[in-house]
Amino acid sequence: MTLALANWLFGVTAAVYLAASVLFVGDLLGHAGRGARWAPRLVAVGVPLHAAHIVVWSLVLHVCPVEGIHFALSVVSMFVCLAYVLARLRYRVDVVGAFVAPQALAFLLASRFLGSIGGEPRLRNAMLPFHVVSNVLGIALFAAACAFAVAYLLQEHRLKSKQLVDVERLPAVDALDLLEHRFLVAGFPLLTIGILTGTIWAREVESGGVAAMARAGLSYAAWLLIGTVLILRASAGWRGRRAAFGTILGFGLTMLVLAMYLARSLAGWGHV
Amino acid sequence: MILVVGLSHRTAPVQVRERLAAGADALPMVLARLASRRELGEAMFLSTCNRVEVVALVASSSSADAARHAIREELARQGGAASGEELAPYLYEKLGDDAVRHVFRVAASLDSMVLGEPQILGQVKDAYDAAIAAGTLKGTLARCMSRAFAVAKRVRSETDIGVGSVSISSVAVDLATRIFGDLSDRTVLLLGAGEMAEAAARSLVKGARALRICNRSFERAAHLAGEMHAAAVPWEGLAEELGVADVVVASTASTTYVVTRQMVQRAMRERKGRTLLFVDIAVPRNVEPTVHGIDNAYVFNVDDLEQEVARGLQARHGHVDAAEAIVQEQVAEFIAWRRGLEVQPTLVAMRAKARTVMLSELETSLRGRLKHLGEPDRAALAQMVESGVNKLLHAPTAKLKVRAAEGEDAAELAAAVRYLFDLQNAAPPAEEAGSEEGEAPSAGEDERLPN
Repeated sequence: MTLALANWLFGVTAAVYLAASVLFVGDLLGHAGRGARWAPRLVAVGVPLHAAHIVVWSLVLHVCPVEGIHFALSVVSMFVCLAYVLARLRYRVDVVGAFVAPQALAFLLASRFLGSIGGEPRLRNAMLPFHVVSNVLGIALFAAACAFAVAYLLQEHRLKSKQLVDVERLPAVDALDLLEHRFLVAGFPLLTIGILTGTIWAREVESGGVAAMARAGLSYAAWLLIGTVLILRASAGWRGRRAAFGTILGFGLTMLVLAMYLARSLAGWGHV
Repeated sequence: MILVVGLSHRTAPVQVRERLAAGADALPMVLARLASRRELGEAMFLSTCNRVEVVALVASSSSADAARHAIREELARQGGAASGEELAPYLYEKLGDDAVRHVFRVAASLDSMVLGEPQILGQVKDAYDAAIAAGTLKGTLARCMSRAFAVAKRVRSETDIGVGSVSISSVAVDLATRIFGDLSDRTVLLLGAGEMAEAAARSLVKGARALRICNRSFERAAHLAGEMHAAAVPWEGLAEELGVADVVVASTASTTYVVTRQMVQRAMRERKGRTLLFVDIAVPRNVEPTVHGIDNAYVFNVDDLEQEVARGLQARHGHVDAAEAIVQEQVAEFIAWRRGLEVQPTLVAMRAKARTVMLSELETSLRGRLKHLGEPDRAALAQMVESGVNKLLHAPTAKLKVRAAEGEDAAELAAAVRYLFDLQNAAPPAEEAGSEEGEAPSAGEDERLPN
């Protein structure tokens, strides 16, 4: 019964994200018509469904949601959507959902179909919850920042090339830049905690192999890059396009780290 | 019958229109004069920058000439003309169905200089409210105006006639909004004091935090700043101002670039990369075009803006057919309702007479040969007579209503009914009374009209 419920919640959540993605992208391309107004509402409906899925699924598997890469992916995608829903309460950023909903759908599907949860290390360490929770929240906020950065670059390109017809479809560039920055600022301390706890935890549990070193190296690089973006914005006025590229690159690095964890899980390496 | 006499941007130059215009203060007096004219039933005076019209109700087409003459006289008096004939070349007149269509089209902004502009509906509503307050609008015409508001709302909600920016000012505001979103914490710098820039700045400053005016002549800048509740800044301080302003509207008469790439690069460093928008509506241009290539700086010149205006107008014209179809449908509905109303007194009189005659005959019989009948039988007979009258008159009633609604020979048929049933004393259709509708509907009312 619980398994059936978990599957049902997964299916409905995925369907809701898929429908939202189709409507959002259609709107961005100018083909969705009046149906587009339902897309943000679908994301808002998807968040509680997604949360329910995570809770029920963790009960089925007897796994704490803060454990393992699969749940982390799922939780990240839920928090990205939540960040979007909250941002939408204050700013007219509906169409940014075109970058949020597909991302959330991809993460949700990856969390279910790439590898098995059983293949992940079951570690019992006091620092683990802090490490996973801060990383998950940080990555979710970076994912939201990345979505706004992509929207910013698109809108900025349209303004610079004076495609004013298409400019109407996206929010104001300044609002996109501001939200991207705010999500980055909110995510950076969390990533910092994740890096610190990871550094200490890694000494205890990681084998020190090449893969572990690469993961750690990429994590530090992402942290440094995002920190640099924030410092340059404050000190040298690196806003707009430069900040957007920095954000996308920083998020890309964090994604690489996640991908490496996922690859480890797929290969059933245990923790190396 | 509704009559419209007036002039608009299509028929009269602004020099003529401005003479006839009446502000809110003068409106009660104008309406009082219209109300004093016996040729007119109800009346409304609409005065905007693009149109001056009197919308009136007249008893019939035969009395329309007298009403036209009266309105012309009143318009001439309003404009200080010697006679109505002086204004004749500029005036248009619409009567009956054409007048209803005209009123609906005006309210729906289909007759506006800028197609689809939203202000006209508010202006018509103001004129309606003034006429209601003055007591010159209470029956059929009030219902017509109320219907016009509903038509305008439908046109606006069911078509995209109001979308897109259609003036340099509105495009400038639209651009600023697309770049900054909320303008409430933004500063607008007006560079030069040309009329177009002033208009754009006036539109922008409505939502902005502050307006600063920089002009070669500081006196001119100070004068304009006084008018617009802005701050005047000296021309020599332009470079520093670029570090403060968020939107720069440029319109100086300079033949060389007033704002150069170097100046903006320096300003962008000072402002730590904060976004800067230039709306350059000067010809020759005031802002060096390469400024657009600087990160977070945007330059839109008059060609860019005019392209956007043309696009907005084109988009609106693409929706005219759909809007006209709504107007046409609503005009037909209103006219059908109005015509049904015209035969109503005849129908009421016919049914009253038939009922009176039959009940009188029944009364005579009940006092004579049928006097032995008890109360239940008498009641049954009265019911039978009532039903007989209703059934007998149902067909002529329904057919007359249908013919009236279809605009066929309803007047002739109604006259024939009055002749055949000897209803010469029945009240004729009374346009100016308008009492059958009761009180005037509210401006926003969207009541259903009976067909």
